[in-house]
Amino acid sequence: MARLPYIEPEDADPVTKQVYDDAEARFEMVLNIFKITGNAPEIAEKMWQVYFDILQDGQVSWVDKELLILKSTKIGDCLYCVTQHEVVAGRLGVTPEKQADIVGVEYRHSDHFTPAEVAILDLCAHMVVDPEDIPTEVWAAVKEHYDDGQIVELVATVGAYLQVSKFGDALGVQLEEVWHGHEPVLFGAEPPVSAASRHHLDEFLAQAPSA
Amino acid sequence: MPATMVLDAPTADVEEVYRDASEHFGHVPNFVKVLGTNPAFCRSITDLVIRLLQDGRVPWAFKELVILKTLRASGTYYSYGAHEQLAISLGETADRIGDLNNSLWRESPHFTTAERAVFALIEQIVEDANDVGDDIWEPLRDGWDHGQLLELSALITTVINLGRMFDTLGVSDPVLFTRPVS
Repeated sequence: MARLPYIEPEDADPVTKQVYDDAEARFEMVLNIFKITGNAPEIAEKMWQVYFDILQDGQVSWVDKELLILKSTKIGDCLYCVTQHEVVAGRLGVTPEKQADIVGVEYRHSDHFTPAEVAILDLCAHMVVDPEDIPTEVWAAVKEHYDDGQIVELVATVGAYLQVSKFGDALGVQLEEVWHGHEPVLFGAEPPVSAASRHHLDEFLAQAPSA
Repeated sequence: MPATMVLDAPTADVEEVYRDASEHFGHVPNFVKVLGTNPAFCRSITDLVIRLLQDGRVPWAFKELVILKTLRASGTYYSYGAHEQLAISLGETADRIGDLNNSLWRESPHFTTAERAVFALIEQIVEDANDVGDDIWEPLRDGWDHGQLLELSALITTVINLGRMFDTLGVSDPVLFTRPVS
């Protein structure tokens, strides 16, 4: 059960309606995580703008950002985010085989990743675990492929998805019925570390596929 | 030293962001200048920070305690000192700031039940957000309405985000506000 009510589009004020329209353009529907923020439209408006900037080609390609989104939300054991972004990444051409190799350090040895992609996934893993102690060689590899403006965007993407993982999970935001029956790719390759997250995954897998 | 360039003199595409930041903070903080090489994110992240660092559904003074507790709990210290100064300027006391430490807040006479419920939420979100149970949510609901709880959840997780992001980029803001806030 979500901890706060979802504000449906028909009950939303104009600020929230605009947020829902922008969200629908990226996800093809208004997801529950957007609906819960209708409880404070003035916060939703500013918070989601960062995500709308992420979820499009910018100084960095949307595909590069989806790899970081999958990596950071997988480390955060966020079933909701990982599931949504397996679908989005798939639409952008990231195959399930490539997605599965994002877990752990598989990507370093996988044929599916370029050296630039390996460099940013390494940065992501270090940023999540210990942002105070990112090795010089990790930065050097990233800087070989990305300029300063791009690095800002990559780091903002990882930070934002650590945020939204914790935000959605703390508020108990549930996966929409349309995803019931979705075969988990990343959590199929490596189960969640958190016992609570494993419980959420078991509950999700027990749902009947959506018609 | 920051990992990326600090854009002291704004280019045309971030001039307006620098102006808005200067109006809100009294000067352009370093975090804005580090974002300056990416105008889209400079705009959206600065806007989010400005929206949160003022009175909202939750009073600004208490939001500063939430920020301090979240930075401590998540082990990131970007602008910690600046937020301590802000909390004091907004009327918070040294006792309340000191008692945020570790689990002192649980026994401290300086906090209300509603405030303690928020600190419990912060610790659980940092530890494992998948496991925020009824024991955390029931006391929260007694003290705060839906809009306030949404604002608090957004604030806590934004601080987790920005603490990590700015520590990664190596940016420091020992002072955030140079205009009077009280």
